[in-house]
Amino acid sequence: MVVLLVKMLMAIPDRCTGCGRCEEACSFEHFNIIDPSLSAIHVVRLENEPLDAPTFCIECGLCAMPGVCPENAIYRDPNTYAVIIDRNKCDGCTNCIVVCPYGVITLDHIEKKAVKCDLCGGDPQCVKACPEGALAYLEANDAAYYKRYFFAELQKKGMVPIVPYPSPRTREAI
Amino acid sequence: MDEWYGYTGKILRVDLSKNKIIIDDLKREWAKLYIGGLGFAAKIMWDEQVPLIDPLSPDNLLIATAGPMTGTLAPGSGNIFWAFKSPQTNFWGETRSGGKFGPFLKFSGFDMIIVKGKSEKPVYLYLEGGNAEIRNATHLWGMTVHQTTDTLKREVGAKDISIATIGPGGENLVKYASIMNDYDRAAGRSGGGTVMGSKKLKAIVAAGGYGVRVYDPEKFISLSYEAENAIISDPGNRAMGAHGTVGGLMGLNAMGGLPTQNFRTGYFDKARKISADYLENNYMIKRRACYSCTIGCSRYSYVAAGPFATPPNEGPEYETVDMSGAMPMIDNMEAIIRYNYMANNYGIDTITLGHTISWAIEAYEMGMITEKETGGIKLKWGDAETFLTLVDMIAYRKGFGNLLAEGSYWAAKKIGKGSEDLVNHVKGLEFPAHDPRVESKFLAIQYSVGPRGACHEHPIYPSYDMMGVDSGLRDVGLPWPLPDRLEEVGVNRGKAYRVIALYGEVINSLGYCNFYAATNETGSLSPKRLAALYSSLTGFNLTPLQIFEAGERSWNLKRAFNLREGLEKSHDKLPKRMEIPILSGPAKGLKVEKPNELLEEAYEGFGWDKETGYIKEETLKKLGLDDVADYLRKINKLK
Repeated sequence: MVVLLVKMLMAIPDRCTGCGRCEEACSFEHFNIIDPSLSAIHVVRLENEPLDAPTFCIECGLCAMPGVCPENAIYRDPNTYAVIIDRNKCDGCTNCIVVCPYGVITLDHIEKKAVKCDLCGGDPQCVKACPEGALAYLEANDAAYYKRYFFAELQKKGMVPIVPYPSPRTREAI
Repeated sequence: MDEWYGYTGKILRVDLSKNKIIIDDLKREWAKLYIGGLGFAAKIMWDEQVPLIDPLSPDNLLIATAGPMTGTLAPGSGNIFWAFKSPQTNFWGETRSGGKFGPFLKFSGFDMIIVKGKSEKPVYLYLEGGNAEIRNATHLWGMTVHQTTDTLKREVGAKDISIATIGPGGENLVKYASIMNDYDRAAGRSGGGTVMGSKKLKAIVAAGGYGVRVYDPEKFISLSYEAENAIISDPGNRAMGAHGTVGGLMGLNAMGGLPTQNFRTGYFDKARKISADYLENNYMIKRRACYSCTIGCSRYSYVAAGPFATPPNEGPEYETVDMSGAMPMIDNMEAIIRYNYMANNYGIDTITLGHTISWAIEAYEMGMITEKETGGIKLKWGDAETFLTLVDMIAYRKGFGNLLAEGSYWAAKKIGKGSEDLVNHVKGLEFPAHDPRVESKFLAIQYSVGPRGACHEHPIYPSYDMMGVDSGLRDVGLPWPLPDRLEEVGVNRGKAYRVIALYGEVINSLGYCNFYAATNETGSLSPKRLAALYSSLTGFNLTPLQIFEAGERSWNLKRAFNLREGLEKSHDKLPKRMEIPILSGPAKGLKVEKPNELLEEAYEGFGWDKETGYIKEETLKKLGLDDVADYLRKINKLK
């Protein structure tokens, strides 16, 4: 039996210092020039809060759903499981940008075509460029362990609940 | 057509008086002769600056420049350099900052901005994709650095941008105002913000839209990763990343080299309360890094509550901690963090600011400044509230703050009564928090001859005899081992310092951060690495020795600039206090021995005249700077 070990790009935001080397490496790999606005990974830095977060595509595949891309330019790579935009077919309609919940698909300012993470064919350059070990390319089962922590983080209770709980009476009514 | 790699090949010239913008091409031969960064700035300042002008007049040039390596994957290359005639010293002014403004200047399509003239109304510059425009900034005038940056970010909208701006300090022409970029990164020293404020230039916005090209991508990327891995695995660099610049504070204190009480002594008994450990355990949230940096030494800290409550911001650095901690004897880390935030937000150099207030406290104690001058304020050591009140007063030049806003050197000239002897400065620039009586003797040389005055980082921190590292400088002629044994083997300290200083010039011209030059060869940007990275990026093949020759060219150009501005040997003199033994602490009794001898050795090392400090004709001819030699001969400043 052939076991396909699919890997996944993960970020450990605690470690990120916001140096932006991943952005440089990404644009360099895909466009052969260094220009962070062409990068598929962006470090979001908040100045008044302690946050430097690398943001990138988690390969969810929403943009590859039928009916999103009129040119059918988006497909999933069977080897890396990355969702890939065929830039030869892309006409820059921005539909994929609309459906992307994370804002990690962008139009490049040169050809006006969509840019998105393709996992560099299974050898992500951003991971190589990160001096802090804040980016990791992990095997899926290992990645799932960390994903659970991120999922749990979303459920962390604040002092004041953000979404009001349904009252018991409402539940009875249902 | 010749293509540019690494460089963008464009210079932006802005004349604010005429409201005019010209985009110039970079001259190809300059790349080999001056490399870039402050090397270009030195050339432009020599060629175009009108001699002997008032630094705050419209004629003064303000140059922002990034090196060829800036905005690439070369580690530690995310820097911006500023050059101008300094209002603090009336000589050459240069200053550096990290953050991401330097890279974004390149990503906006320019190697360099040259601003001259003076605008009638406040303006800011907007750069994008190789174009530039002058925009109205009346609504920004009066805002602090954070307010300005926030407002401009909202105005520009959905774009990753970087902003360099001045705060109220620069607007009110505080003599040591800094140019701030990306909120908390400061190009602090020698008064760049004051020059910018005098031009009514509030900010520069770099919005990207241009890509830096690489000559030999495969080779460059493999060299970058090689350098990155070497730097990350070096223990010295790891310690710098983990504990920041303030990490060395306790060590210096144990040596007796932590400037305390306006350099009266070098030992602060409460140093533990302002140490890196104390900061990390109580106030620090996370580490941050400048663009493309693999060390990441910046602190990000806050004070949650109390009289010194401070929102999260970058810092404080070692210099700031000492200048607002040990120097005025304040043992309160919360006050230091607050001070750092205030000074950065006002856009004032934390070193000169803290140093000037410490000087005022000492002068007050000795009766040279009285309550008549201070307007009733009582100055005393360790008084954090008064210290911070003075920061406010200086930023807006209110009352006593108006005098202190001139800096300790100029304030002492007005006050007199012997308070001049309490000023620790060279050429008018106050000492940073490194004491040449205790630390390296090269530091004493550097404070004396440094083109911008007393500075521990320009051209470079001489870590060689302090830390016993060579950074690979043996290849380019640094005698080794250093330095106590130098005299035994009969090697001239001046010759050794020459190599160190030129290394700094090279680092500043290429666009690197000095912290990448403070370990041994394996873990630093050694001359070999510098040359290999530069050649593969730009396609100009230069050997380490050729790069060092370019460094020597800019070093001598800066000297020539200063000579043209009236520099004499007397300006290269260390202040009186350096010849008085330290009063107490572990370094008790130490002083700078025979400073004149040190200075003359340095002059000889650089090929300058021993008696006068003028550059020798043969030195300039060897570097191909014949026009400089001709000019200096005309004003009788050539030997």
